[in-house]
Amino acid sequence: MKFFLPYLLLLFFLFTSLDLTAQEIYTLKGTITNASSNETLIGVNIIIPEENKGVVTNEYGFYSIKLSKGTYTVEISYLGFQSLRKTITITEDTSFNTALTEGSENLDEVVIKSNNEGLNIKSAEMSVNKLSINTIQKLPVVFGEVDIIKSLLLLPGVSNAGEGASGFNVRGGAVDQNLILLDKATIFNSSHLFGFFSVFNPDAVKDLKLYKGGIPAKYGGRVSSVLDIYQRDGNSKEFKAQGGIGVISSRLLAEGPIVKDKGSFLIGGRSSYAHLFLKLADNPNSAYFYDLNTKLTYTINEENKLLFSGYFGRDVFDINQNFINTYGNSVLNLRWNHVVSDDIFTNLSLIYSDYYYGLTLDFVGFNWDSGIKNLNIKYDFNHYLSDNFQLEYGIHNTYYEFNPGEIAPIDEDSGINYFKLTNKHALENATYFSVEHNISNKLTAEYGLRFSNFFRLGQDSFNEYANNEPINYNSVLDIYEEAEPINQRSISRSEVIKTYSNLEPRLALAYSFSENQSVKASYNRMAQYLHLISNTSSPTPLDVWAPSGPFIKPQILDQYALGYFRNFKQGKYSLETEVFYKDIQNRIDYVNGANLIANNNIETIILNGKSRAYGLEVLAKKNKGRLTGWLAYTLSRSEQQTPGRTPAESGINNGKWYATNFDKTHDISLIGNYDYNRKWDFSANFAFQTGLPVTFPTGQYNFNGINVPVYGDRNSNRLAAYHRLDISATYIPKPDKKDGLKSSWNFGIYNVYNRKNAYSISFRENEDTGRNEAAKLSLFGIIPSVSYNFKF
Amino acid sequence: MKYLSNIFILFLALNLSSCEEVIDLDLEKSEPRLVIDASLIWFMNTSGDYQQIKLSQTTGFYEEEAEPVTDARVIIKTDTGEEFIFEYENQGFYVNSEFNPKFEENYTLEISYQDEIYSSSSSFVPVAGIDHIEQNNEGGFTAEDLEVEAFFTDPAGEDNYYLFRFSNFSTSRVSLEIYEDEFTDGNQVSASYSNNELAVGDEIFITMEGISKSFYNYLFILRSQGGDNGGGPFQSQPATVKGNIINETNPENYPFGYFRLSEVDSTTYIVQ
Repeated sequence: MKFFLPYLLLLFFLFTSLDLTAQEIYTLKGTITNASSNETLIGVNIIIPEENKGVVTNEYGFYSIKLSKGTYTVEISYLGFQSLRKTITITEDTSFNTALTEGSENLDEVVIKSNNEGLNIKSAEMSVNKLSINTIQKLPVVFGEVDIIKSLLLLPGVSNAGEGASGFNVRGGAVDQNLILLDKATIFNSSHLFGFFSVFNPDAVKDLKLYKGGIPAKYGGRVSSVLDIYQRDGNSKEFKAQGGIGVISSRLLAEGPIVKDKGSFLIGGRSSYAHLFLKLADNPNSAYFYDLNTKLTYTINEENKLLFSGYFGRDVFDINQNFINTYGNSVLNLRWNHVVSDDIFTNLSLIYSDYYYGLTLDFVGFNWDSGIKNLNIKYDFNHYLSDNFQLEYGIHNTYYEFNPGEIAPIDEDSGINYFKLTNKHALENATYFSVEHNISNKLTAEYGLRFSNFFRLGQDSFNEYANNEPINYNSVLDIYEEAEPINQRSISRSEVIKTYSNLEPRLALAYSFSENQSVKASYNRMAQYLHLISNTSSPTPLDVWAPSGPFIKPQILDQYALGYFRNFKQGKYSLETEVFYKDIQNRIDYVNGANLIANNNIETIILNGKSRAYGLEVLAKKNKGRLTGWLAYTLSRSEQQTPGRTPAESGINNGKWYATNFDKTHDISLIGNYDYNRKWDFSANFAFQTGLPVTFPTGQYNFNGINVPVYGDRNSNRLAAYHRLDISATYIPKPDKKDGLKSSWNFGIYNVYNRKNAYSISFRENEDTGRNEAAKLSLFGIIPSVSYNFKF
Repeated sequence: MKYLSNIFILFLALNLSSCEEVIDLDLEKSEPRLVIDASLIWFMNTSGDYQQIKLSQTTGFYEEEAEPVTDARVIIKTDTGEEFIFEYENQGFYVNSEFNPKFEENYTLEISYQDEIYSSSSSFVPVAGIDHIEQNNEGGFTAEDLEVEAFFTDPAGEDNYYLFRFSNFSTSRVSLEIYEDEFTDGNQVSASYSNNELAVGDEIFITMEGISKSFYNYLFILRSQGGDNGGGPFQSQPATVKGNIINETNPENYPFGYFRLSEVDSTTYIVQ
């Protein structure tokens, strides 16, 4: 019965729809594009003032709205574009496609630039961070490299575990709990060069949204956040190119029509040249990354469109051919947009995504390959039932193949035996529906339900353990030990060895007191079936993703958020405040001393725990005028607890709650952008954060010649507070130039007052004196940078 | 994980603005605990009659001298009724020169200190022995240092664990390496020692000790806790590592250290 519930509800909504179409109501639908490139625009506001109703274009620029017979004004507005007003007479179902012109000719009218980042008071959507690519490109960044994830860190609720840590943490969640979608395909590792850069080429990105809470039912599979990134489609009007030359990397992107106004291509590449510097130093080592973004778009007719996108990125570390480490994501995605009827828009996606990790250690004579592959089908429907009732529903299916690793001797002389860790397979399915419902003029709701299933499929050498306990507690030594399997068998891949099903309700409500202020509340439950656990301070590319199964349960999140939202002076200023509480069951952690490299039985080194996080977020913004910017403040706590399975066991940290590695009590960002004139633009940002939790030694002893520190409770100490100020200036030599080469320069200084922020504190023996000492490592002192960007 | 830390540090070295400085940092001091270093070493083809056990107390992290324990009573008993009393000598060392090492004998260590009884039992782990030594100049992370390799043949069909100790008499530096045969079972493999200070003429004393799986795991954690992992994102989570010795009187007041018995092969090599 549980299984059929979503379908029954779907039927209910379809009947509601039939009822509505019985009246004399017509549909106005269409696609909104960028006039210069034909690229579709996401999130364009379409407002019918006479009826006091409106709609927003979806991820593919499509909108649909119900109107009764009559003549209407249609107002279309979008960030950075000139608004459009048109009178339309409706006597039948009508198509209205239109293109907006970029408003950049009128730079003094800064209004246009940021009004999209103003607040939508009425919508039930909350806990969402949006940043336009425009804003991101102006923020000061380290080495002058524009970076999407680094920019997100300046918003409340988003942080990371220090300057050189991979990924990002949302509302106290772990890095692997973020669902990162690039054109709907899952990206498993969002970082290049240990997290100094993210894998997204900003030139190729059209739009992005980060959901921290109130996550709609169309998303699932991760418990902390969703970062939904859309690549640009490419210009189907004329050939264009853009690029940039920076201190660390250079980029080049080309786009143009394949069939004018119908088909377009986009290809963008980016590569770092850090290896050049290494090579110059007469050193055969290299460390570099590169990535490639591609997109092909073809509009067959008004009802059908095909989109093909690809991403390929790699990091390579090569130390004298002795140590070679390569890792990265690759993604291929074919999508078919189909307008079934005036009020039903569908998208079918076929996705292949792959995360690869390879390691060659010449001195050990060893090759290691590992990765995770998945095949994904998503069929999503947007159903515009009425102005007050929009429905989204769909089905997602994913097939996973986990290759935890294969170790092979590098040549005949190698002392290594061939060894293959067992491949694992799983199937993840989900059915969802999600409703945007304007209950009254003041009350709007977004609610939905996701029903997810996870089927762990058969594998070779499946281990069975006595009492089903893959890990034993040694009460004498107070340590956990791997249990010896009592039986090992091969199970056919067509057999399901473990099934999990979860109903994930989502609910968000907004009540607006007036045009300018509202309160919003949301609840969401989510399930995560894949786990990436690290036994180091931040995940490494080496960490293995493990699927849920007989010994690992899915993580289940419950999140509650409550917020107050207000616009001041017609949206010139805005204020968002939210409090949240979240609770995650089945967060696993490694036991002390777990050896996870090439471990075939992850279940023998983990314990089941839980985590929780709570906090307050404030975001005050100035959206209009020459000076724009924001103040973001987060007060939060993120903790984990891994108790023993019985009271006699000690668990991890004696079963006590401890702060996660990325817990920051206070996190403040202040960002300002000043449009001085049409040539010069200045930005500054200041960040202050509580120091990260660390564990300091409380004593020492010597055993067999090894100096061993004695530690207190995990993460019970803190690094000194982190703060820094960055500034940057953008210079456009010829702002009036319409054709040909348009260029700009970006000058920046990172960490202006050269604060030696502690990146880590390590404890060691001084080689000369033999005394123990504490050494602070700081990563980035003051760093000036310059980059040159061009377009033609 | 060590390799990852290495490339990470290499990457940091690229970034000229990173810097490291020694800081004054006040640390809390935990209550002192007993530390028992009871490693009984039986050199191949010797009588193994001289054995020593070292007792000390934990000290504050910045303190220089270990606190020796001088007033404990140390006895090793066998299941067959033999008793070896270890007499206090100096600097925390307790010695017995009439020890009788045997394989397939179970030894029980008993220490009484400050009215509490500490105990543990274990038996000797045999070792395969060193086949020969080779030398090359492709050692270290950059493959440019001198390297000394000790070759040995792992017995096939059983799980073996080894502790190698390379003591450089010329620089008084000691390097410990642990090995398991999970991926090398039955093969001739080598343990290697190299660092950028290794020079021609250095005299290196190499020992190969047979150890149990649990002692291997213990050393594995201990080494990851040692100060040498440089911090940063690939730092291991610090943890309290208890050994195999329990306090029978008051389990809460557990000791640190380990009781283990190893057969050992050794050789001396002069770097050429």
